[in-house]
Amino acid sequence: MTCVDPIVQTSVLFGGSIGMAIIFGLYIARMISYEMRPLEKPLARVEKGFFRLVGIDVNRQMTWKEYLFALVFTDGIVMVFIFIIFLIQGMLPTATPGLKGLSIDLAFNTAASFITNTDLQHYAGDQQLSILTQMIAITFVMFVAPASAMAAGFAFIRAFIRKNFGLGNFYVDFTRNILTLLLPVSFVSSLFLIYMGVPQTLNSSVTIDKTLEGHNQSFTIGPVGSLESIKMLGHNGGGFFGANSAHPFENPNGFTNIYETFLILIIPLAFPIAYAKLVGRGRGIAILIAMLIGFGIMFAIALTAQSGPKGLETRFGSFGTLLFTISSIATNTGATNSLLGGLSPNAVISLFLGMFVQAIPGAAGVGMMTMIVYVLLTLFIVGLMVGKTPEYMSMKISPKDIKLAVFIFLLHPTLILIPTVTAFTTGNAQGVLGREVQGQKITPFGYTQALYEYTSAAANNGSDYLGTSANTPFWNWSTGLVMLLGRFVPLGLMLGIAGSFTAKDRKEVIEPIKTEGPLFISVLVIMTFLLTALTFFPFIIIGPFSMLGS
Amino acid sequence: MKVEDNDDNMLRIARGRTMKILEKIQSQFTPNNISPSIKVIILMLIVTGIAYPLILVAIGQNIFPFQSNGSIVTFNGKAIGSKLIAQEFNSPKFFHSRPASDSASGLDPHITPTRAFSQISNISKASGIPENTLRTLVELNIERNKNSNLLAFAPDHVNVLELNMELVRQYNQVYSDVVQTSNNNTLHSGR
Repeated sequence: MTCVDPIVQTSVLFGGSIGMAIIFGLYIARMISYEMRPLEKPLARVEKGFFRLVGIDVNRQMTWKEYLFALVFTDGIVMVFIFIIFLIQGMLPTATPGLKGLSIDLAFNTAASFITNTDLQHYAGDQQLSILTQMIAITFVMFVAPASAMAAGFAFIRAFIRKNFGLGNFYVDFTRNILTLLLPVSFVSSLFLIYMGVPQTLNSSVTIDKTLEGHNQSFTIGPVGSLESIKMLGHNGGGFFGANSAHPFENPNGFTNIYETFLILIIPLAFPIAYAKLVGRGRGIAILIAMLIGFGIMFAIALTAQSGPKGLETRFGSFGTLLFTISSIATNTGATNSLLGGLSPNAVISLFLGMFVQAIPGAAGVGMMTMIVYVLLTLFIVGLMVGKTPEYMSMKISPKDIKLAVFIFLLHPTLILIPTVTAFTTGNAQGVLGREVQGQKITPFGYTQALYEYTSAAANNGSDYLGTSANTPFWNWSTGLVMLLGRFVPLGLMLGIAGSFTAKDRKEVIEPIKTEGPLFISVLVIMTFLLTALTFFPFIIIGPFSMLGS
Repeated sequence: MKVEDNDDNMLRIARGRTMKILEKIQSQFTPNNISPSIKVIILMLIVTGIAYPLILVAIGQNIFPFQSNGSIVTFNGKAIGSKLIAQEFNSPKFFHSRPASDSASGLDPHITPTRAFSQISNISKASGIPENTLRTLVELNIERNKNSNLLAFAPDHVNVLELNMELVRQYNQVYSDVVQTSNNNTLHSGR
């Protein structure tokens, strides 16, 4: 019996999410190439109304720079807006009496965190945010952040379809992503989650005069259902409550646990399928399989040890906890249904692996683009080995493309390691870790927590050990900055690569190195892990690896 | 001298380039570029930040009022807590929840079957309810949770509040000293 349940859970989850990803992937492919979608007429009518209100020319194509500017500018305005809401929430008419705005550094951190799709939380949502803030700041930005990243992913894929296909129009992609994908799916999912026990009310708390034994009890409540579904579907991961998906109101039972995991996995897996539809079946499937192999390796490492029971919720158990957490971290959602401290070191190692690679399968749009960057790097290295000009889809990979790809790859360790070192040399890490620092000695667990914080920030993941204890000016400003750089610099460089590829000539010859089939998939997976391992191994050896024996 | 000249030149070129990039970025800030951003944000704020949660509140409150308000269970007509949130039990006649700092949420309403079975002999001693009966009640509770999780989607677990409510329901006399029966027991909802 103990063996049957995990098999049923795994097969329902992966059967369901891959099946749904195929449906979504084919739909996304139609959005990317502007083909007829199912229900095209009513959808187009709604969109047209929006486009007219916004005042954009639907047919105007943007260059990669215009696209990037529109994306950064739109996200920038949203970030300023939510930053202000966080500061002044106490003065807004509907706030609970006594509720204050966040401090400037915490407001900056939270605004940066949500607009970058990271959702690192140095605050406890249930205690520090009003119902209005949870709606107009948190829920709203949870649509904006993934819609922007997916739009960038669309532009990136368009670069490979054919020469001068055009990268599209940011506002069109952004609007369509929200109105015709994220919003309807979130709506239906919210209804299901509410049915399963997730609250949806405008009251902010419930007080029970006398519990069964006669105690007084009160707990926080609110519009959790509407937030929960987009939190998962859009890879946000920031909980309504500080306890995130471990809180029974966010994730009431084992079945919602699987359903929320399913929501996490759909869109990242749909992207390679859309890619397969648009630029060649074999190529897309190669990327999908590479992602799934990476994900499988993470899962296998995590399953080598039992986690909990301390720090885990009884209704999920060790297996349900790992299934949720691995999926959530692999897609850079960052939602957790347990305390990270309750997980085995093996599981923590696999979480690091997912955040270092960022593409197995990675967040919506971003994971796909990162994987293509790995493909370009692999083709370059393999091309050098056999002495052939590196080409992708019969397009020459120019030195500029490789420079951009290497820059994207190297930015990640830079954003993780330099801040980690700074946190320790300035004593800020020691100040937060407290009892994990014995005398002058920092324990492996203490070091792991600090490394995890910046890894999570740079990967736009959002899970963390420190939580509200990292609510100090140093940690707020530094992780805020890391999140912004970790989001917008790679996004800009990736759109740069897209701009370069969309103008390239396609030769009518067979690729010198085939980018499909088992051989390429194995080379890609090995290369991805090799590059990551070479970069990060020294740092995880003194962290989670050293926790193994203790 | 020559080296310095070179440095100066490099600096000048770098400064020139930076200025050019800044100018380019500045040139993008035209009303034509900015107005769609602002408009699209205002529209999306109305749709996703206001309409979407409010419509769901309206639907939730009407179709699933029990769940939407936090799954509050009543006993003898009075609200006594949420079946999803752990509550404090001190009496030796009751099953006890996990200590708050033991779980991830601190509010875990469930315990494992092992934990429930291990409490049975003490509860039986304190309350006089036969161990066999307690065991059957625990097993029934496990069975119920299993069914509500479609058999395979959760490990076996026991809901402490529901189990204790069942005890009070069946052995009213035994628990009359622990369970308050006053009438001013009402549910307050604050904002």
